[in-house]
Amino acid sequence: MLKNYIKIAWRNIWNNKLFSFINVISLAIGFSASFVIGLMVYYDFTFDKFHKDGDRIYRATTQFISPEGTDHFNGVNALLADALKQDVSGLENVSAFYTYRPLKVEVESRDLVFKKPNHVIFTDSDYFKVIDYNWLAGNKATSLLEPNEVVLTQQRAESYFPNTPVENLIGKILMYNDSIPAKITGVVANFEERSDFVFQEFISLPTALQSDLKSMVTNTIWDSYNSDAQVLFKTLPGVAGNTIQEQLDNLSKSRADKDDLADGEWSRFYAQPLEELHFDTRYGTFDYSVPQASKKVLLNLGIVALFLLLLGSINFINLTTAQATQRAREIGIRKTLGSSKKQLIFQFLGETFLLTLLSALVSVVLAFWLLRVFAGFIPSGLNFGLFANPWIITAMLVLLVVVTLLSGMYPAFVLSGFKPVSVLKNRLSSQTSATGFRKGLTVFQFVVAQVFIIGTLLVGKQIDYLMHKDIGVNTANIAYVKLPWNDAAITKKKLLKNKLATIPELSTISLGGAPPASMYINSNLVEFSKDGETIEVLQEQRFGDATYFDLYGLELLAGRKPINDTIKEYVINETMLHKLGFTAPEEAVGQQLLMGSKSYPIVGVMRDFNEKPLNSDIQPVVFVGDIYRDWFSQFNMLHFKIEPKTQDLAGTLEKVEDIWKSVYPDSDFEIQFMDETVANFYRSQQRTQKLLNWATGLAILISALGLLALVIYTTERRIKEIGIRKVLGASLMELQVLLCKDFLKLIAIAFVIAAPIAYWRMHIWLEDFAYKTEMSWWVFALSGIGMVVLALAIMSFKTLRTAMRNPVKSLRTE
Amino acid sequence: MLLQLNHIYKWVKQGGKRVFLLNDISLDVEEGEFISIMGPSGSGKSTLLNVIGMLDEFQEGEYIFDGEPVHSLKEKQRAKLYKEYIGFVFQAYHLIDELTVYENIETPLLYKNIKSSERKALVADMLDRFNIVGKKDLFPAQLSGGQQQLVGIARALIAKPKLILADEPTGNLNSKQGEEIMELFKELNTEGVTIIQATHSESNAAYGNRIIHLLDGSKQLQPQN
Repeated sequence: MLKNYIKIAWRNIWNNKLFSFINVISLAIGFSASFVIGLMVYYDFTFDKFHKDGDRIYRATTQFISPEGTDHFNGVNALLADALKQDVSGLENVSAFYTYRPLKVEVESRDLVFKKPNHVIFTDSDYFKVIDYNWLAGNKATSLLEPNEVVLTQQRAESYFPNTPVENLIGKILMYNDSIPAKITGVVANFEERSDFVFQEFISLPTALQSDLKSMVTNTIWDSYNSDAQVLFKTLPGVAGNTIQEQLDNLSKSRADKDDLADGEWSRFYAQPLEELHFDTRYGTFDYSVPQASKKVLLNLGIVALFLLLLGSINFINLTTAQATQRAREIGIRKTLGSSKKQLIFQFLGETFLLTLLSALVSVVLAFWLLRVFAGFIPSGLNFGLFANPWIITAMLVLLVVVTLLSGMYPAFVLSGFKPVSVLKNRLSSQTSATGFRKGLTVFQFVVAQVFIIGTLLVGKQIDYLMHKDIGVNTANIAYVKLPWNDAAITKKKLLKNKLATIPELSTISLGGAPPASMYINSNLVEFSKDGETIEVLQEQRFGDATYFDLYGLELLAGRKPINDTIKEYVINETMLHKLGFTAPEEAVGQQLLMGSKSYPIVGVMRDFNEKPLNSDIQPVVFVGDIYRDWFSQFNMLHFKIEPKTQDLAGTLEKVEDIWKSVYPDSDFEIQFMDETVANFYRSQQRTQKLLNWATGLAILISALGLLALVIYTTERRIKEIGIRKVLGASLMELQVLLCKDFLKLIAIAFVIAAPIAYWRMHIWLEDFAYKTEMSWWVFALSGIGMVVLALAIMSFKTLRTAMRNPVKSLRTE
Repeated sequence: MLLQLNHIYKWVKQGGKRVFLLNDISLDVEEGEFISIMGPSGSGKSTLLNVIGMLDEFQEGEYIFDGEPVHSLKEKQRAKLYKEYIGFVFQAYHLIDELTVYENIETPLLYKNIKSSERKALVADMLDRFNIVGKKDLFPAQLSGGQQQLVGIARALIAKPKLILADEPTGNLNSKQGEEIMELFKELNTEGVTIIQATHSESNAAYGNRIIHLLDGSKQLQPQN
């Protein structure tokens, strides 16, 4: 029986090559999107699921609670670990660790230097009691107790000591930053499964006192939080998370300032369960170099996949029911031969399954390709090998069955419901209800495609707007290099500046901090007294020398710039001006800003510029010189303009690098361009745009294929009518209108439904931006017209040929 | 008795009036009979065959098949009944285009859940008997009309039905092919299969041992003119 069904199914698929092709391609697109997105979901939901006692492991994070809302912070203070051990009951182990970025590590025995090793932490031996590792050499009981000890992962050990048995590594010395020696006391295996605990080198905590982290590790101020300071702990068995959190709350409150607490302001330590670590973007993971997984992104991707699958299923339903009359005879015969309705339903579902299976096979190839296209969205650890995972395979099979039922159920019921007598006598009714249903599905398809089109256009328009809006800062031909932070001598920086001035292609060279518009944050709180009232303002600081203004085209509205690089004089922006309660720039000049007990003058007012991406409004910004030079120079970048006429850009940059090497022979030269910096603000939006472009393209493709098939089918059925009309004198144009009219009506209905949906969805998306492009009517009009033109083009492919056919032929063949 | 029709009425509404397709038809059929139903186009021959074949319903009357009251059976039981006992032969052959000769003949056995080995034997016998072994892998479109009808009859016989309903079985065939088919029916009848055929042709009707004349859905006692 089964063999018979498969045979018939296969022959049907084979005989209707065009329709089968359209069905397979439409479904395969939906499948491949689903597979890839399913892989991503599986990948991201299987992080850190393998740890021993994983449900008892927590990470401490910080919440800054105030009446205005809660800010979330991934680090803690240096005192928390000890406080937990003393004041919180129910904990089995507490471990503090500090993320560390050494500039280099030297493998003494091999005389090799590795620059900037990543994933290095200072930690205590309790770390290995909280997070269980498999020890390949050494042991967790005796490791990391003394200063100058280090434990490596197998992977790191292999890169430092290739082809050396791990036992032989014990006792070998690593030298960090030329000054901190560490003896290897253990090697642990890397996790075989996915984990956010990415660390590769564990240096004993006391060693941190020899490093530049000393001040952080020994900091005894409770309210000093640092993102590098981390605490992990493990509860005793049977201790609920909320009892720990209660104790943490009490601890946090007992250390809070009483007045602040009364005002509802306090810093709360939050026990973040291990299972929240991977997705909670408020606190991040330990690895900043890769974007964190986001449930929202996964959900949006899932919705895209769902729509693509639905569109494919709709094509299938439409084409199968449209072709029903061709299958009707077979159904009638089978019924007279004794087939029950149930058997027929199974036959058609089987046929659908075969087609679905075929699509799935095609989609595996497509998925392989999609994984490349969407590399920007996909974590690098996700690869094609996951397809062999039994969970994934099971999920794929379930999806196959679901799609089979979704696409096959309705056609199966329609087809199996035919009455054999009517079918065999060619008295098949014209199936008006099914036609209405098909029209509904077609409208749905075009609604989806139309929403995608409008969305794509508006996202494109917004990104174009973001990229080209005047942010009040010069970006063309400006480049900057980061100066080595461990070589803070200002004389060297000035030397570099002076040497660069000899390159004729460079003009307006400036020493300063971050560029005016950048992601760097350097803000502090100032007070301002006016009319007996004190206003607190959080001001973002931009540091620069006298030429910084000219270079970036910043504009003074009143007053002057600071007289020299180190004097504490402030130039405030207009937003700050208004925040302080002034309207005219001149009013602010000469006023004093209060920091602690000291006050500093405002000497000038500058025009507002967008110091952050256009997602946010302009905040209070002040321009100052290198006011903290005595403590730590803030002039950590060198900015310059390259003459626009410069022919040989690469040559010029080479000259810059040569001079850099002569001043800082040991440091890496990294140049960044201002226009790229600004463009990079919108990288995530550009990724969204890319994804949306693809989704739109695929949605259009599926819908267009479906439309094409329906047009072919309906037009074929009207050949006789067209022949008669032609004989009666209808023109080509009139016939064209006749054939396309019905479909255009559906597209019009779809547009009416799609436009408000798209408007609403895009309105939500644009709310993320302080600066929004207009949702112009012409975008909607354009996408509507585009759809009509596309549909006409598809339809004309078939209708024109039909309309031009010689009527004598079509009438004779009847 | 194989089947019994008692006062069967079947009508459709047209402009508020009843148009009778079958008008008070009563008919007893004994096992082993060969009945020819004659009448002009639209006289209700096919309708009567469809009613007997349980493919079509009627509004009034009783229909008893092999002791079972068909008129009060559920769809499922009815399907079981005709699957078991009735084979159909059509004027337009109605073979499944996508299946080969072999597969077409095999299909009714599939619906009766007969085992594969047994199916093979049965189909092989049938091919042999009708002398179409050489054609078993051809598709219907590759056969002549007479050959297609042979396959149609083979398919109708494969499930060993008690009753064969043939609706104008020779209507699409030339006279020589038609005669061969009628000879075959005669032969089957002598082997014990009950046959009811609808036909236009006097000569074909003569193969039967009883002739029923229909006009406008009513049974005529005597042939017209």
